Amino acid sequence: MSEAPKDAPFQAVQVDALVILKIARHCSSTFPTVATGSLVGMDQNGTLEITNTFAFPTVDNSASDTHQNDATNAAAAAPRAKANITYQGEMIRHLKEVNVDANNVGWYTSATMGNFVNLAFIENQFHYQKDNEKTIALVYDTSRSSQGTLALKAYRLTNLFMTVYKEGKFTTESLQKSKLSFRDILQEYPLNVYNSHLLTSFLHQLPLPAVASEAKEPTLSELNNDRIKAPLYPSIDNLDLSVDPFLEKTCDLLLESIESHYVDLNNFQFYQRQLAREQTKITQWQAKRKAENAQRTLAKQAPLPEDEWQRLFKLPQEPSRLEGMLNAKQVEQYSKQVDGFTANISAKMFAVRENLLPQ
Amino acid sequence: MAAATERFLHLARPLAHTNIGLQTNIAPLTVQIQPQAVLSILDHAVRRDVRENSQSTRVIGALVGTRSEDGTEVEVRSCFAIPHTEEEDQVEVDVEYQKNMLALVLKASPRESLLGWYTTSHELNSFSALIQNFFAAPDTGTFPHPAIHLTISTEPGKDIETRCYISAPVAVNAERAAESCLFIQVPHKMLYGDAEKSALEAVASARDLESRSAPLVSDIESLGRSIEQTIGLLDRVSEWVNGVLDEDEEPNNALAQYLMSALSLAPKVDASQIEHDFNNHIQDVLMVSYLANTIRTQIDLSQRLATANLVSNEKEEGKGDGEKGGQRGNKRGGRGGGRSGGQQREPREPREPTE
Repeated sequence: MSEAPKDAPFQAVQVDALVILKIARHCSSTFPTVATGSLVGMDQNGTLEITNTFAFPTVDNSASDTHQNDATNAAAAAPRAKANITYQGEMIRHLKEVNVDANNVGWYTSATMGNFVNLAFIENQFHYQKDNEKTIALVYDTSRSSQGTLALKAYRLTNLFMTVYKEGKFTTESLQKSKLSFRDILQEYPLNVYNSHLLTSFLHQLPLPAVASEAKEPTLSELNNDRIKAPLYPSIDNLDLSVDPFLEKTCDLLLESIESHYVDLNNFQFYQRQLAREQTKITQWQAKRKAENAQRTLAKQAPLPEDEWQRLFKLPQEPSRLEGMLNAKQVEQYSKQVDGFTANISAKMFAVRENLLPQ
Repeated sequence: MAAATERFLHLARPLAHTNIGLQTNIAPLTVQIQPQAVLSILDHAVRRDVRENSQSTRVIGALVGTRSEDGTEVEVRSCFAIPHTEEEDQVEVDVEYQKNMLALVLKASPRESLLGWYTTSHELNSFSALIQNFFAAPDTGTFPHPAIHLTISTEPGKDIETRCYISAPVAVNAERAAESCLFIQVPHKMLYGDAEKSALEAVASARDLESRSAPLVSDIESLGRSIEQTIGLLDRVSEWVNGVLDEDEEPNNALAQYLMSALSLAPKVDASQIEHDFNNHIQDVLMVSYLANTIRTQIDLSQRLATANLVSNEKEEGKGDGEKGGQRGNKRGGRGGGRSGGQQREPREPREPTE
């Protein structure tokens, strides 16, 4: 679990059980489309408490939509869509009347195998964070959560990234000056679950570990039909041994990242060629002008200005470095995930081998 | 996954007072409740007004969810709170609020609809009937489907019990029809799918702690916990079996047969086959891990090269072998290569006019 930096407006994030369930429900019901929603709560003594949440309506323009992609984009952009800002304000006003904490503290989004680091995510979080620095983005990983352990993470943009993003310049020079690297984009915060007293008492009534004393002797058919209700915690779901789906998906995602890395690379090379061409043209023009001026001085005429090239030629814009940085961050995210998975699955596999090999 | 405790039989729905010619369905009704709805109600119960002047100790709210096509199965997916005041002789529900909030909720989840209402005490009184009739009415409620009334007891120190009702119109005379109805209990169960299971597990992990809060743990920690749990269970079983063998415990045929069939589920496999499969899979895993880390290093490197200050290159440029730097960069296959070439050319031209 990562530590929050010292200069952060809060040190930890505390999430109510209700919020976790609502997010889990919403995200898995819309899977594989991205789901987003707003979080409300308040911050108290350095802890950001998230006490309630509601989903954003997705723009359902299936008639005009021909691409699956468009729907995904619409959902990903939902938190900063104008209609949703109004919706959020309206909803919070209503929630206030029933004593729910009426402060917006961020938003949540769903992800598949950690593929959330993209421009839309950054823009959303920036949108929230520029108005109120005590806001957080929760990322719920739908595919990883279905494998046993809840994958919910809290992220915030770092202050350094915020200042750079505000300027909107991601050229090589500005990056060199600000010393911003892809590691400094997002900051993860430790996350805690919190239950109310009522909920604690309710949880104690959900299926419990079987008690030692049995009231009556069960018969075989009863045992077979009436499965013992597994306790919620600790669950044994994460003893699952499936290896291949994870590896397959990870490889796919990594390939995708490499692809986008190449697109980025090509863009940049295109820019360099363009720049070189323009500069050759400028040099030619300057040489020509110099020669002309030399003639003019010989002819005792006033020399023509030599800096006219600035008006005549336009240097191409340097493409933004942001995409590349995000891609790097994304790859880092994937490889961390793979490391975690490797640690898990190799332990399980060695256990299986020991069990099945005859002694 | 379901958790249901019912001790009654529900055979048919009551006949609603219908318009003539409208066929009503009287097939029994089952209600499924998703945990997030229950949690939401409990949260609302905690947040109720505790001011002096309000008489009521309960809160009310609306249930939202889906119905199956024939209307015999109802799934409560979410709910929202409605402010209300209750006094000796009158009850006031904020109808305007209910209408607006419903519109807002349905906007986010267009496939759901209003199902009924909930309250946080088991008491059924004439106010309940009044509200029930409001929720079952044709223009403001769920008609022609029955409105569902869910009661959850939230008394401190007692078990939390849930009950589910639908209603039939009944009245002594026409004037009192609005404030009376017959509540009929219907079976309900709490359903949770795989999606919520991991979430519920995380929530339940804080169950036995004094602070009522627990950190979310990483995969490997939870794996360790699961393994410990499994070992504990296995120990208990073997302890019991040993007890039977030592004639300390009462033997039980059914349990033993069950254990036998569970044990026989373990596959019999060839040792070499296992070794082979194991090696294959572990290689796959390690390969992907290795690749992922290699890619990460590559991209990290390319990022570094892209923003590196390239001081050494400028020196090289002075010596006049910038080409070499560019080539070496290109060989790395990174953007850094292209970049370093550009850096060398770039500063040369703009400087020229000043000369």
